Amino acid sequence: MMRKKGVPVLVGALLSLGVTVAHAGSLISPPGSFSKSTVIAGAKLFADHCSACHAVSNLRYNRLAIDLGMSKAEIKKDIMLPSGANYLNGMKPAMSQAEAKKWFGIPPPNLSHIVRAEGEPWVYTYLTSFYWDPTRPSGWNNRVFPEVAMPNVLASWGGIYTKSGKQLKAGSESPAAYHRQVAAIVAFLRYASDPSIFAREALGPYVLGALVLLSLVSYLLKKAYWKDIDDRRDAEGHINTSAMPKNKTKPDDT
Amino acid sequence: MSKFADWLNDRFPAREMMREHMTEYYAPKNFNILYYTGSLLLFMFFLQLISGFLLMAHYVPTSQDAFNSVQGIMYDTKWGWLIRYMHVDGVSLIFVLLYLHIGRGMLYGSYRRPRELLWIIGYVIYILMMGEAFFGYILPFGNLSYWAGQVITSILHAIPFIGPGLTTLARGGPGIGTATLERFLALHTVLWFLMLVAMILMHILALHQVGSNNPDGIEIKALKGPDGHPLDGIPFHPYYTVKDIFGVAVWLTIFAAIIFYAPTMHGVFLERTTFFRANPMVGLPDVTPPWYLAPYYAMLRAVPNKYWGIGLMALAIVLPFFLPWLDRNPVHSSRYRPVYRAMIILMAVVFFTLAWVGEQPPLPKYFFIERLGAAIYIGFYVLLPIVSSIEPTRKVPERVQA
Amino acid sequence: MTVQGQKEKPDMARRRFLTRATTVVGAAVAGTLAVAMVDSLEPTAAEEAGASTVVNLTPIEPGMQLTVPWQKKPVIIVNRVPDMLTTLKMVEAKGLLKDPNSNVPQQPPYCKNQYRSRKPEWLVMVRICTHLCCIPHYRPKKASVTPWWLGGFHCPCHGSMYDLSGRVIKGSPAPHNMAVPEYTFAADGKSVTITKMYPKAHLC
Repeated sequence: MMRKKGVPVLVGALLSLGVTVAHAGSLISPPGSFSKSTVIAGAKLFADHCSACHAVSNLRYNRLAIDLGMSKAEIKKDIMLPSGANYLNGMKPAMSQAEAKKWFGIPPPNLSHIVRAEGEPWVYTYLTSFYWDPTRPSGWNNRVFPEVAMPNVLASWGGIYTKSGKQLKAGSESPAAYHRQVAAIVAFLRYASDPSIFAREALGPYVLGALVLLSLVSYLLKKAYWKDIDDRRDAEGHINTSAMPKNKTKPDDT
Repeated sequence: MSKFADWLNDRFPAREMMREHMTEYYAPKNFNILYYTGSLLLFMFFLQLISGFLLMAHYVPTSQDAFNSVQGIMYDTKWGWLIRYMHVDGVSLIFVLLYLHIGRGMLYGSYRRPRELLWIIGYVIYILMMGEAFFGYILPFGNLSYWAGQVITSILHAIPFIGPGLTTLARGGPGIGTATLERFLALHTVLWFLMLVAMILMHILALHQVGSNNPDGIEIKALKGPDGHPLDGIPFHPYYTVKDIFGVAVWLTIFAAIIFYAPTMHGVFLERTTFFRANPMVGLPDVTPPWYLAPYYAMLRAVPNKYWGIGLMALAIVLPFFLPWLDRNPVHSSRYRPVYRAMIILMAVVFFTLAWVGEQPPLPKYFFIERLGAAIYIGFYVLLPIVSSIEPTRKVPERVQA
Repeated sequence: MTVQGQKEKPDMARRRFLTRATTVVGAAVAGTLAVAMVDSLEPTAAEEAGASTVVNLTPIEPGMQLTVPWQKKPVIIVNRVPDMLTTLKMVEAKGLLKDPNSNVPQQPPYCKNQYRSRKPEWLVMVRICTHLCCIPHYRPKKASVTPWWLGGFHCPCHGSMYDLSGRVIKGSPAPHNMAVPEYTFAADGKSVTITKMYPKAHLC
């Protein structure tokens, strides 16, 4: 019962670990679940709509086969759209950096780590927060990233809105389908910034299972040895250790 | 077999060492859960050595390639993610253990005579660990690394007379660049690492010289049986070796759960700003230290003056060295000192509150918490000599309990 | 829980069994981790992506050669003219070669022929002498090394001689023909992609 003394320290430690640094503003988490099929769908949408300008240079095309189980033919047909894309190399943009800089003023960033850096809610909210702003050179502005250089490339799906939320033009997709597709792109980017995720989740149960087994067996081992001590309690709870058996595991331990 | 053992022992004291440090090292029988932390720290240190060695096999210490070489480990190296997460999460877990280990020492008076030097060596290990963690923090060269390097090397600048020279010496140039990465890598993997190894060895040797304390704070050596061994002591081997093996297994399960399911611990163990490349032209939205250094950072911010702030932080780091002489009560363990026990619990709460506030954006609304926390932290050490002289104590039993 | 009361003799059999069980499970965990750790030192995906090299063949005129670095090794690409190809038959007829039919697998199966290549005119070969790893000189001219020389490779280190297919000539210290890597031609025949080392081939 004296053991409880360590508890406040432990609770303090856990409290301080659980606190995360929150992003400013109200951000929306992407709807739907994170799975291999969502990520594959997102990868295809990304290739269609984003890889014209954005690289995912740390993610090699063949990782999509290793991690997601896509076939090489499928990757070549649906993902490796930019010319010069090499199956063994990182995902490249169609547009060269110099060209992109000419068009947008700054080169579009490599998106390999964007979800790890900004978080899924930020990326999702950003992608769905464009509004029409004639004062901007591109005609677009963004609620979470004011004066962004990027135009709203998804406007044909989602429609065009003003800052106050008035619809100027309807999108080709229903709002639900549009949000699902944006969520799929975000899911792909989440995978891209942490490609070990599926391997980790597949291996995790086995690793934990083995370690729980090890904990269990070593607990029984500890119990078996501590029997010497637990069996020798006198009425006051003291243990006469000097009367303990000379229990050596090996004869040469002495 | 025994012939070979004899041959070996004539030339190397393996048997003697085994006897001295394992089979005939008598440890108190009443260790509680907090006494797992020592062996776990040793185990984690060993794991850091292995994962660190493998990381170094792929790391390039140049400002141009450092970030990409670390990302290469995450994306292109077989099992690279496992190695990096082991190393990164390992640091945070080491500090969790260090704080529990230090807290345990304070709770049970393990710093008291004759264990003053043991405490001091241990506290030196803690300070070295902060340095080791800091050097390692810079190496991946994300934007957080860059700005953390800037801020910490600027702290050196405030040291009178030698400060500016020291800052240049630490950076190896006008700013944080390739020269800094190269020397920090050398410090992280050679000098600091070897100092840690030496200090850890000294810590264990000093422990075995004076013997382990226990939750009751009673000297078990004071009461010996007819065979000359402490009545309340049991041989470290096999009893505590099997117990520690169990501890390691449980701890590994926790460690693996973090690595496999929450490797960044929601940005606490691996901060989101480490995923931006180092950029001298772009500052961070908020510069916060890792959680385990945040309490000191909060105290630094509590004072609206550069030199006094750094001075307060340095004082906070240095004060625990004097703990063995600040505590004047004849009773060691907080089990029999309710007032002292309340003070320790308050200190733990304050320390982790400071860690939390140190992670918050530097806004005036946190000043009060920062200042109150710093005042309590310093106040603990200032008041301890007085409180410990007059505080009421419970009767200490003659033999250890349970 | 074990039965209480047996105060003197600890259950040694139980301890031995549990010690073994803990050792086995612990060793399995440590062993699996060790395999992953060693595996991490294998070539990375970046190394593998950089492993294949594309060489443009258009600048190589008939009769000329180009030596390119590939996986830190020199690879020679020779555009052999019909004259040079006839010398291959002549050295065989004279019985000068150690392994005229390329029976030692120093080349992928598709190159096990007189030309040691996919297309007769294009020789793609690792330019490393199988004796002690020197880079042989390219000596295409007749009588440029010895009076009977028909053209081939001559190693400056220990005098090993090879014909224009890299087949080693009797009397050389080199044991095998020079190694041919795996490669493919582009559909238009204007470039060659050297992909990987033929696994059975010995370099030197």
